[in-house]
Amino acid sequence: MLTYIARRLLFLPIVLIGVTLLVFVAMSFLSPYQLVSSYIKSPEELKNQSLDDLVRKYGLNQPAHLRYISWMKKLLRGDLGYSVSANMRVTEAIAKRFPATIELALFSIIPVVLGGIWLGTISAKHYNRPLDHISRTFAIIGWSLPDFVFGLIMLMIFYGVLGWFPPGRLSMWADTIVLTGDFIRYTGMNTVDSLLNGRLDIFWDAIRHLVAPIITLAYLWWAFLLRITRSSMLEVMNKDYVRTARAKGLTEKIVVNRHVRRNAMIPVATVSGSMVLGLLGGVVIVETVFDYKGIGLLTATGAQQLDYTLILGTTLFYGLLLVATNLVVDVLYAVIDPRVRLE
Amino acid sequence: MLLKMTTTKTDEILLDVEGLKKYFPITKGLLRKTVGSVKAVDGVSFQVRKGETLGIVGESGCGKTTVGLSIMHLIQPTAGFIRLKLGGQWVEVNPKTICNLRSEMQIIFQDPFSSLDPRMRVRDIVAEPLLAHGMKSRRERYTRVESLLSSVGLGASHMNRFPHEFSGGQRQRIGIARALALNPSLVVCDEPVSALDVSVQAQVLNLLDDLQQEFGLTYLFVAHDLSVVQHISDRVAVMYLGRIVELSEVDELFIHPAHPYTEALLSAIPEPNPDMEGEQIILKGDVPSPADPPSGCYFHPRCRYAKELCHQVSPELMALGETGHLVACHFAKELNLTGVSPKETA
Repeated sequence: MLTYIARRLLFLPIVLIGVTLLVFVAMSFLSPYQLVSSYIKSPEELKNQSLDDLVRKYGLNQPAHLRYISWMKKLLRGDLGYSVSANMRVTEAIAKRFPATIELALFSIIPVVLGGIWLGTISAKHYNRPLDHISRTFAIIGWSLPDFVFGLIMLMIFYGVLGWFPPGRLSMWADTIVLTGDFIRYTGMNTVDSLLNGRLDIFWDAIRHLVAPIITLAYLWWAFLLRITRSSMLEVMNKDYVRTARAKGLTEKIVVNRHVRRNAMIPVATVSGSMVLGLLGGVVIVETVFDYKGIGLLTATGAQQLDYTLILGTTLFYGLLLVATNLVVDVLYAVIDPRVRLE
Repeated sequence: MLLKMTTTKTDEILLDVEGLKKYFPITKGLLRKTVGSVKAVDGVSFQVRKGETLGIVGESGCGKTTVGLSIMHLIQPTAGFIRLKLGGQWVEVNPKTICNLRSEMQIIFQDPFSSLDPRMRVRDIVAEPLLAHGMKSRRERYTRVESLLSSVGLGASHMNRFPHEFSGGQRQRIGIARALALNPSLVVCDEPVSALDVSVQAQVLNLLDDLQQEFGLTYLFVAHDLSVVQHISDRVAVMYLGRIVELSEVDELFIHPAHPYTEALLSAIPEPNPDMEGEQIILKGDVPSPADPPSGCYFHPRCRYAKELCHQVSPELMALGETGHLVACHFAKELNLTGVSPKETA
């Protein structure tokens, strides 16, 4: 198992170099004058020198390989440039926004995966019978609804009418407390930080703000997991070893839970992995609808304002994220499927 | 065959199957209307005596596996009466009683590669039936697994492995250990060696033979390989298109077949001696579809002895003489069919 992980880790640098190359190529399509914007923090800096001076100063007119090396040097120091739209360094912006996205992802992946698997199991167990049709119809409606439509409906009902789940990340009063020095931001995730600071009222407030986007995400994605779970379970149900399990005299419940579902989880795990990745990359529309300041909203705003530095920075960040999540999924795969382990 | 002499064979009947039918519906159209049915097993009756091995042979699609699975209720029989004699009492095998009867009747599956859960360790595969039938102590279960594995020729070191780490023969041994875990009296062997290499087939057959004597098992042995059946069976039933056409003691059946289909099957056994020149009977045409069987005797379109009567009247399975030789052919008494020479080596 450890060798398996170690071997995967050996490939990591190669993949990462590939990612940087791709981002660099994308960057090369920009003119030096567009690129130089990432070095300028304020208009003041332009007073005493022309843009050409700056281009020369930062070596942006050099040949590609030299530019790549100096860009990599900057990258290794953790410098992704300055974002105009966020008005701070790109690394800083990501560090600030990413915890919010992690928080949303962590809280929503649980209902998404558990609910999807549960619905899929029901569908498979009642294959082609009314319960199957009901759960499939229920899920497919969610899948077909555009996220902004369903998100707005959620907002309308639970905020507009009932006032239960407000948009944003925190209420005004909670926000002011969080921003004071007394409240220590350990992780940047409101729920975790509030618990660590012993503020249950803020924790409750943070949860209230999370519920609506979580329900929206869950309902939108259940259909996907339902279909995967259902078809995978139907396939496993016809396997010989399930017949063996029945021949052992096990109850139908044990047959389904212990033999069918466990084996059917392999493709589900792969899909769930890519879902986590999607969630971590930020869910632009849901974050926008609920004014939830995560990384998706950051990128969307940056893109609207043609903030190249930010876009390239977040692209690189997504690349890293992708590699990391894939590694986790592969390890998870080996845990679930013993046949993968020995290869 | 020498081994057979020592088995504790009695005339007491262990399993009684009467009029077993399994029809698979054929559905068509949007509303899945049933337009017909595949008569996989069409009224099969036989009895298995305690301690014996009853072989069931036939071509692919003749319903022999379906018979085994229906008896185990792994597929629900359409009709028929199955009962098992336990401690002098007859117990009916039906969907209600089957769960408890699983400890008395077990099945060894054909394909050892797909019939073991890939995510379970061997010890859990074998121990699971024990747990399901009330052996709560883990240590007790694993001790039992260890002794089971050693009786099928595997060691305790194999307990913690996964099925994919074993060869086909070893996997089938695991399947056998699993089937024997609950000390069943009847074991349905559903082509247990047909997925294995020939060299391994003999090992597994001998193992089954040894286990039969060690544990006093009764086998219902489904196979399509006649030499395998001849080797292991005490009595043999020949199936054609969902029906038993002949049932007899193994030597009697092989030497004096009474049904033309049996004769044709026997003539197809490869003869290892090149000097022996037996006539090989090539059957005309294909096996008719069990969804649309021919009139009269199901075998008449391919039978070289068929007469007018065979086209119209379906023959019953009737006793031929006193030896318990049953055959379903109108002309069984008149035909003088060729069998094979008895096997010297077994």
